[in-house]
Amino acid sequence: MRVSLIMKFAVRTLGRSKRRTLLSAIGIGVGCAVALFITAFMRSGTEMRIQAIADSGFGHLRIAPSGWMKSRENKLRLSDWHAELQAARSMDGVRVAAPHARTTALLAFGTRVTGVEMLGVDPPAEEKLNRLIGAVQEGRYLRPGDRDVTVIGNAIAERLEVELEDDLFLTVVCEDGNMEYAMLRIVGIVNTGSRDIDASICHVALGDLERLTGLHGAGEITITLEDPSKIDQMAAQLSDQIGGRNEVLTWREIQPGQGADSASDKAFMNLFIGIVGVVVILGIASAQLTAILERKREFAVLMALGMKGFQIVRLVLLEAVALGLLGAAAGLALVTPLLYYTDTKGIDFGSALGGDMAVSGVLFDFVMYTQMGLWMIPYALSVALISTLIAALYPAWFAMKTDPTSALSLREA
Amino acid sequence: MENTLVEATDVKKDFYTGKITVNALRGLDLNVHKGDFLSIVGPSGSGKTTLLNLIGALDVATSGEVKVFGKDLSSLSRRKRADLRLKSLGFVFQAYNLVPVLTALENVEFVLELQGVGKERRERAQAVLEDLSLGELGDRRPNELSGGQQQRVAVARAVASRPRLVLADEPTANLDSENAKTLLEMMRYLRDEHDMTFVFSTHDPLVVSYASRVVTLRDGRVVSDEQKNSIAEDDEATVH
Ligand SMILES: Nc1ncnc2c1ncn2[C@@H]1O[C@H](COP(=O)(O)OP(=O)(O)OP(=O)(O)O)[C@@H](O)[C@H]1O
Ligand SMILES: [Mg+2]
Repeated sequence: MRVSLIMKFAVRTLGRSKRRTLLSAIGIGVGCAVALFITAFMRSGTEMRIQAIADSGFGHLRIAPSGWMKSRENKLRLSDWHAELQAARSMDGVRVAAPHARTTALLAFGTRVTGVEMLGVDPPAEEKLNRLIGAVQEGRYLRPGDRDVTVIGNAIAERLEVELEDDLFLTVVCEDGNMEYAMLRIVGIVNTGSRDIDASICHVALGDLERLTGLHGAGEITITLEDPSKIDQMAAQLSDQIGGRNEVLTWREIQPGQGADSASDKAFMNLFIGIVGVVVILGIASAQLTAILERKREFAVLMALGMKGFQIVRLVLLEAVALGLLGAAAGLALVTPLLYYTDTKGIDFGSALGGDMAVSGVLFDFVMYTQMGLWMIPYALSVALISTLIAALYPAWFAMKTDPTSALSLREA
Repeated sequence: MENTLVEATDVKKDFYTGKITVNALRGLDLNVHKGDFLSIVGPSGSGKTTLLNLIGALDVATSGEVKVFGKDLSSLSRRKRADLRLKSLGFVFQAYNLVPVLTALENVEFVLELQGVGKERRERAQAVLEDLSLGELGDRRPNELSGGQQQRVAVARAVASRPRLVLADEPTANLDSENAKTLLEMMRYLRDEHDMTFVFSTHDPLVVSYASRVVTLRDGRVVSDEQKNSIAEDDEATVH
């Protein structure tokens, strides 16, 4: 099939002022590259945030007692938690479902005292769920059948000046309002690298916690999924499954601060992409308009020959499409090496910031990655084409308005 | 009136530029007949280009009537006028007005594409070039052609759709006399062999000498209209 001449016309026009075309393509390319980079960064940022929350023991989803969302009260217990746990564990796509119960407790050793939020766990499930406790520095983690033993973070150990095998004196306020005392032997000390988090870890077996508090059952079931991109879908499915006795929450509700951070990051990045887009569009529009002005006479001749306004518009838009394709290619060429580097090596924010990156109990990695992939190609194409087409609208309209009489006279068109 | 292609009656054309009104045409009457090889002459500013713009449906008269092929142009929409130009009129402009990014052949082909000619447009364009002995120039871009060659390709483009009427505004203004002669002979060949009618404006006595009819304008009116035997009329000279 023969390519239509109007197509050739459009493509060859790009070769007419190579420098202008090159500059425009680089302009579009840079805009595209910025949008691609930010998007690649955000994609992996959200993913990493979700991962960090899940790895820190908060899961992707949580089954919580109805009403927990409002009060966030540790005393609430799930109704029929065994059935819920069973339901969650038997669902396809669920990696781990771990029951939890929490209570505030006072730990004492000798004359030193510290308050913690004690977590009752099912040890084998917890080991699979919570990456942080993989960092047992001394001793071991909890085992099934353990009684009156605990695993604590090393910041607590330091504060209380305790070592492995020491017995902690524990005080909790019971359900009936009385104080309950117990001795807990330290079987493991965890060092996650974050003092904040290490000052908050105090795990005991769920059975111990039930006995100490006099409250039976689990206060929540924390769930991680095989595929974190299916969180909302799985939440809905799980919600149907358990049928209203308890409620299903996602990480955004479990960690509302993180959810809000993620949403505001996204909004800010989109605003930034939008501003870059507007700048690029205005730049391309002015370059295109100059090009059209230089060709007024040519358009006048074409119209005198009988070319219609819509055909002129089509020509100018085709030129924009050709330019957009070049720009998309330039954008991909610019951003791919950068994304390759940041995807494989990551960007280390740790050395710059110093300290650790724990936010409300979630331990973040210092190294941020981007996420490259085939999504970049349609993304770059649509960003480049949409912006060049928008940029070409005014020049196209301008070209269409050419007065054809200016073809005959040598007067300015 | 089969043989009258253009009937201009009491045509006035005013241009408004800011506060000043220019009366470019002031009640002009002119008929163009089939087979005319008509030269419009007159001093600069007398309205030659303005008249060609009106006949060519590029512009509309302020008052009076311009009928082309029996149709009153003022009754046609912009789009209809574009159609008329595309299908029935040919234009040759003073400056070299080929599309610079298309080859000579593609320039001719482009008009055919605009007309909606499909597959055979390349063959037809090639045939037009060959008919005018321009076959070898087909692959060249305008900047690879001399001024005379460009102007001949422009004529080929103007006549590719076999228009009945071809308008040319000072077509030889930028040519030396050799190239001007070749161009004029080409145009006359087209008139004789393809029944085309030509109207061109000029300041060039050489062009006038080829004309079969000379209309003189002054201050936007026709001041003389003479039928004549062109000097080259009985030469056997053709472009072949
Ligand atoms: N678009 C326009 N706006 C204002 N005035 C115009 C316009 N077009 C033509 N004129 C005026 O109309 C008059 C006739 O112009 P026109 O171009 O038809 O003359 P011409 O005979 O073609 O002259 P030349 O031999 O120099 O080409 C001139 O006074 C010119 O200045
Ligand atoms: Mg003129």
